[in-house]
Amino acid sequence: MNPINTFVPIIQGLKITLGHLFKKPVTLQYPDERPKVAARFRGLHALNVSHNKAKCVACYLCPTVCPAKCITVEAGEDASHDKFAAVYEIDMLRCIFCGYCVEACPVDAIRMTGEFELANYNRKDFVYSKERLLEKK
Amino acid sequence: MVNLTIDDKQVTAPKTATIYEAAKLNGINIPILCHDKKLKPFGACRMCLVEVEQMKGRQIPACTTPVTEGMIIRTSTPDIVKARKMVLELLLLNHPIDCPVCDKAGDCDLQNLTYEYKVNANRFTDEKFHHEIDYNNPLIERDMNRCVLCGKCARICDEIVSFGALTFISRGIETKIGCEFDEALNCEFCGSCVSVCPVGSLLARPFKFKARFWSLTKQKTICGYCGTGCNLTLGVKDNKVLTTIYDENQGFHNGQLCCRGRFGYQFINSEKRLTKPLVRKNGNLVEAGWDEALDLVAARLKGAGAAAAAIATARLTNEELVLFKQLMETAGSNNYDHSAGYAHAALTEGFASSFGVAASPSSILDIQKSELLLVIKTDAYETHPVVGFEINMAVKNKGVLLKILSDKSGKLSKLPDAKTLIHTPGTETTIINSLAKVILDNKLADASAALIPGYDELEKALADFTPEAVSAQCGLSAVEIKQLASAYAKADKALIIFPVGQAYPGHTAALANAIANLALLAGKLGKEGSGVLCLSEKNNSQGAVDMGFQTADGLNANQILDGCASKTIKTLLIAGENPMVSYPDHAKVAAALDRLEFLVVSEIFLTETAAMADVVLPVCSFAEKEGTFTATDRRVQHIKPAIKKTAQSRSDFEILGALIKKLGGIAPTAPASVFAEIASSVPGYAGMSYVSLGEEGQFATVAVKPAFVVPQAPLAKSETGKLALVIGSALYHNGTLSQYGEGPMHVCPEGYVELSRADAAALNFAENDLLTVSSAGGSMVLKARISSRIPQGVVFAPYHFGSNPVNQIWNGAAVTWVTLTK
Ligand code: SF4
Ligand code: SF4
Ligand code: SF4
Ligand code: SF4
Ligand code: SF4
Ligand code: FES
Repeated sequence: MNPINTFVPIIQGLKITLGHLFKKPVTLQYPDERPKVAARFRGLHALNVSHNKAKCVACYLCPTVCPAKCITVEAGEDASHDKFAAVYEIDMLRCIFCGYCVEACPVDAIRMTGEFELANYNRKDFVYSKERLLEKK
Repeated sequence: MVNLTIDDKQVTAPKTATIYEAAKLNGINIPILCHDKKLKPFGACRMCLVEVEQMKGRQIPACTTPVTEGMIIRTSTPDIVKARKMVLELLLLNHPIDCPVCDKAGDCDLQNLTYEYKVNANRFTDEKFHHEIDYNNPLIERDMNRCVLCGKCARICDEIVSFGALTFISRGIETKIGCEFDEALNCEFCGSCVSVCPVGSLLARPFKFKARFWSLTKQKTICGYCGTGCNLTLGVKDNKVLTTIYDENQGFHNGQLCCRGRFGYQFINSEKRLTKPLVRKNGNLVEAGWDEALDLVAARLKGAGAAAAAIATARLTNEELVLFKQLMETAGSNNYDHSAGYAHAALTEGFASSFGVAASPSSILDIQKSELLLVIKTDAYETHPVVGFEINMAVKNKGVLLKILSDKSGKLSKLPDAKTLIHTPGTETTIINSLAKVILDNKLADASAALIPGYDELEKALADFTPEAVSAQCGLSAVEIKQLASAYAKADKALIIFPVGQAYPGHTAALANAIANLALLAGKLGKEGSGVLCLSEKNNSQGAVDMGFQTADGLNANQILDGCASKTIKTLLIAGENPMVSYPDHAKVAAALDRLEFLVVSEIFLTETAAMADVVLPVCSFAEKEGTFTATDRRVQHIKPAIKKTAQSRSDFEILGALIKKLGGIAPTAPASVFAEIASSVPGYAGMSYVSLGEEGQFATVAVKPAFVVPQAPLAKSETGKLALVIGSALYHNGTLSQYGEGPMHVCPEGYVELSRADAAALNFAENDLLTVSSAGGSMVLKARISSRIPQGVVFAPYHFGSNPVNQIWNGAAVTWVTLTK
């Protein structure tokens, strides 16, 4: 057994460890400290609002494209015969946060926010209804 | 055949083909927007431009240009692609491009072509259209902003439907499709225009925003309403039938449907459907389990013998009818019938004696191949609208002569050169006899006629039917009768069409005999495009006849009801029929059902009849079961379930099978095995199987053994000071089932009485007045409709409605004498 071959790598390793001791730590003291999510982070969805109404016109493109099949849209006809989403639901337990829904939307009605704290106690609470998804201003 | 070159490929095509058709025939696709194979070439959109070398590279429309020998055609040179792109750019210029909210998206020709030709920018700019959208009717939404002015809607409404509700109005950039005086659409709502519109300008409102085209499962089936037997595609999502889908390649009718077929599907997933068996306890119907309900029924049937009877609707499948027979035989009874006992008499008694077979010798396909059509009653259009389309096309495209014998005029009377002879109600048989008499007297009879058995007796029996003798009674002049007879006899190919059904008690076995005699005398049988076609009412009326769901040694429906009244029949099974509304004489039916010890009704809905039952069994609709239907011209077609059975409903097949088992019999497990039995035992069905039926169905053969049968013509009675009420079918309805289809109920929600302008003026009635209609049997209130098609002295009322059943004043007579008061 050659002592040089044995100890040199160990010393080299320790050097790196030693170096880190004097650097700024990366660990985040969550939840006391909050992460800064990137602008393009794909977190909880939000339905965009314009003129006090959800922009979504219930075109069914997002449920069609969604690979997890977790979006439920049911269209309704309003008093002026226009189409709107009477039901808009996303099952976050199944969502894989791919962002395809955002990409598919022809009217820029849905986006993904930085919100990532989605833990909950009941399965049914993971199904986000339209009201819960509407963007908060 | 001509030889030509398309895209460097040597091909041949028929001489009459257009370039588009020739290319399609040879698997080369040319894009189209305004062309439709059912319509005449139009050439409005220029999507189909191609280059023909002989025409010096000019771009010409493929859909209107006929092929010629040696043509060299190129369908997609860079120049053509450029031209097509420009066509699309111009079409998209004023179009709102609101695909996200347009129901046509995914099935839209404009969208597909825009995608295919990658038109993602527009070189031009202009204002978008601002046409007002027509939301005025409940079935069809018209948004002319999306219109590409292909004209298909206007053309189909004119060329096939022959209604003419739509046309181009205004000029230049203002041009749009509109109705008369740019008013709201109010038509017969067949939806043909919706089906052919290549964009989302015309949409079915009942389906509005319900689902995307691509998310629907498309299930082919057969329409469950009338005997035409149209093929249908149901759009299904989440076990719900959401719409009907147009398929231009489906059926003899190329996907054409009527209002009932296209818009009347909602009963399948109706909220009002029965979900659980109901059993009467302490006078009330309460929910029960299947075992309990079936045990009760089986206990009543066991050894019941002739005290048990059954009435079934002719909407059951052939397999179910066979099983029903088996059940009744196991119970020891041969009292079973359908369709009020008389609605099929033209076939079972009339044709059976005249032709030796209870079926029509001709088919719907003969209509367009004929030279002269003789239609008995303009109602043939209302009872079988898609047959009506065939008549329209025969007359308008093929120049077929149309003669009509009717007690009122109707839509068919408006066809070009149609001649309608309006006769006194109830005298059809007399007139047909008189036509036969003219043929005999004028030596117009075919040589073959004298050899047919019964010729001499007929000749003798017709002695009293000279046109002069019957003219006064029938309300026709002798000259008219003679002219019609000679036109009929002299036509090389002539086809007689007449509807039968519960609303046409005057279309009896005698009328069928008289018609058969006429056709046999004139030698019109056995030729293509010639003969006799009896239009049976329901989707499986002919099947019920073929399955023998009535025997000579058993009671017919009418006698069964008499038996109930006299208490000789104690247990009655009714499957899908609603005698309280659709059988003559409301009071008699109610009393008969009331006196029964035990009434079992298997139904989709809690109908007026089911409400009287001791046990109600919830059954499924045609969309949930497998089996076969036999259309009026004996086309046997196979249906497969489109959705799973809803709630606890079961098919009649399962119910009947379970009952047979409970009675100790052996029940077949699957419809297919019953059909195998049918194929081996029912004449004409030999060799058929579900596989051989395929999508198109198969015709059961009709072997005719002709004979002349002397028909008993009823004597027309009249009552002075009274009006002649004739019952019939309304265009939007068929039987009583269509009351549960929302579409038909949107446009025709209740019964009415239609009377002539002259009578209305004399009696001082206005449209929509509530009139009391009184006959010897009773009286009821109906809304007045005043129309120019009804002759003076006659009134018409449709029979479908449970809310105001016309059987309160009608006892099954062909003509009922009534008075009207306000
Ligand atoms: S992010 Fe992806 S998986 Fe989640 S809802 Fe959108 S499309 Fe579906
Ligand atoms: S794609 Fe956009 S507009 Fe369409 S349903 Fe989804 S969120 Fe609504
Ligand atoms: S629904 Fe039928 S009748 Fe009415 S406009 Fe359309 S094609 Fe014509
Ligand atoms: S409404 Fe539809 S079918 Fe009629 S012309 Fe316009 S695009 Fe063509
Ligand atoms: S009701 Fe009769 S004519 Fe109308 S679509 Fe159905 S089968 Fe055809
Ligand atoms: S399809 Fe040929 S001009 Fe429209």
